[in-house]
Amino acid sequence: MTAVLGQEPSSAPDLQDALRRVARGDRLAVRVIYDAEAPRMLGVAMRLLRRRALAEEAVHDTFVQIWLKAASFDPSRGQARTWLYAILRNRALNILRDESRTDLVDDFGPMDLKAPGDDAETTVMRLSDSGALKRCLERLDPVRRRAILLAYVEGLSHGELAGRLDVPLGTAKSWIRRALLVLKECMA
Amino acid sequence: MSTGITPDRDRLAAEYVLGVLEGEERREAERLAENDREFQVAVAQWQARLAEVDETASPEPASEALWQSIAADLGEQASPEPTQASAPAAVPGPHTAVLALWRSLRFWRGAGLVGAFASLLLALGVGMLATRAVREPVLIAVLLTNENRPAAVVNAFADGTAELIPLEGLEIPPGRALEVWAIPGANQSPISVGVVSQRRSLRLNLDRVPGLRPDQVIAISVEPPQGSPTGQPTGPVIIKGNTSTAL
Repeated sequence: MTAVLGQEPSSAPDLQDALRRVARGDRLAVRVIYDAEAPRMLGVAMRLLRRRALAEEAVHDTFVQIWLKAASFDPSRGQARTWLYAILRNRALNILRDESRTDLVDDFGPMDLKAPGDDAETTVMRLSDSGALKRCLERLDPVRRRAILLAYVEGLSHGELAGRLDVPLGTAKSWIRRALLVLKECMA
Repeated sequence: MSTGITPDRDRLAAEYVLGVLEGEERREAERLAENDREFQVAVAQWQARLAEVDETASPEPASEALWQSIAADLGEQASPEPTQASAPAAVPGPHTAVLALWRSLRFWRGAGLVGAFASLLLALGVGMLATRAVREPVLIAVLLTNENRPAAVVNAFADGTAELIPLEGLEIPPGRALEVWAIPGANQSPISVGVVSQRRSLRLNLDRVPGLRPDQVIAISVEPPQGSPTGQPTGPVIIKGNTSTAL
């Protein structure tokens, strides 16, 4: 992640510093983070939740959590941006998994009409050439790479992956398991 | 950084971060993510490995309306007075919680809202009866059962502490615990402020709450012995009440 941070334009706000200010009760620093990250967060949440209203809800809840939990951010354990997106992903996955919501269920039809360009290989292409993740993902068998990215980008569970990829549940689980081992070793 | 984590646990951390877990495995991962230091480290490592994928999402316009709805939920506090930059913002744990409390108190004092926000950290233990005698709560909530019988009282003090005192009407189902929730505002998710498994006074943990205010809902739900595995109420709410200013 250091590499990614290094690629930021110098005008990008220092998120770690902003989080420190939020931890001291500075609401303006929350706005700084919102301006810098909310558009991307909405994009991430839209890929997971598909619906604008739900994506906005996830981002809303994320910022309330950032406000409440900023003091628990520990820079020795990771990048500020990773911490922010972990909260977002967690919240979005909770909306996706835990909450039996008719507004999600109603949308299963349109969900399949996703933009064709937004598939796994497109995601790989968008990754930075200089980052380890792209190189390591490219080492994976294409079908396992697709499984990993569908899971992370669209929030598919083991069971949903099996359905989408039309393989038995055990196969989907073992693809994911092996792909994760390859990634871990490759990125070590 | 290497960890002593087992391959199975590391896989669980990876799958948790990836988001593929369901059911019991997911709850197990959430429990570990909450409590297990090694697991937390593994999770952070996997988050760092995969984080770059989030950067491939196309940005969506973030509206001023969305910001306004967020700002409205950051509590009614005005901008805090500037504080010195010396406080370490990082290491989580009780120390941080105390710092956060301290900051919050200063913050509210600065905003001139001390009485209304008697919130934060909580004291009260068995040995605090003497203290209680000389302290008067600024906010009180009487929590009622569904049959409108008083079952517990929450007292919040001007120093930012708060306590829950069970009354005779409080029933704890065998093998379960009761979890106390503060609901920060309309349409907001409840925030856990404590878990009780015995009928005795509980000091509430308010460091995740923006501040207790008059007319705020406090609710108690039935949960597994360690508290809700999801961070949100999973069992029925059996007792609730609203805070009022003590005169």
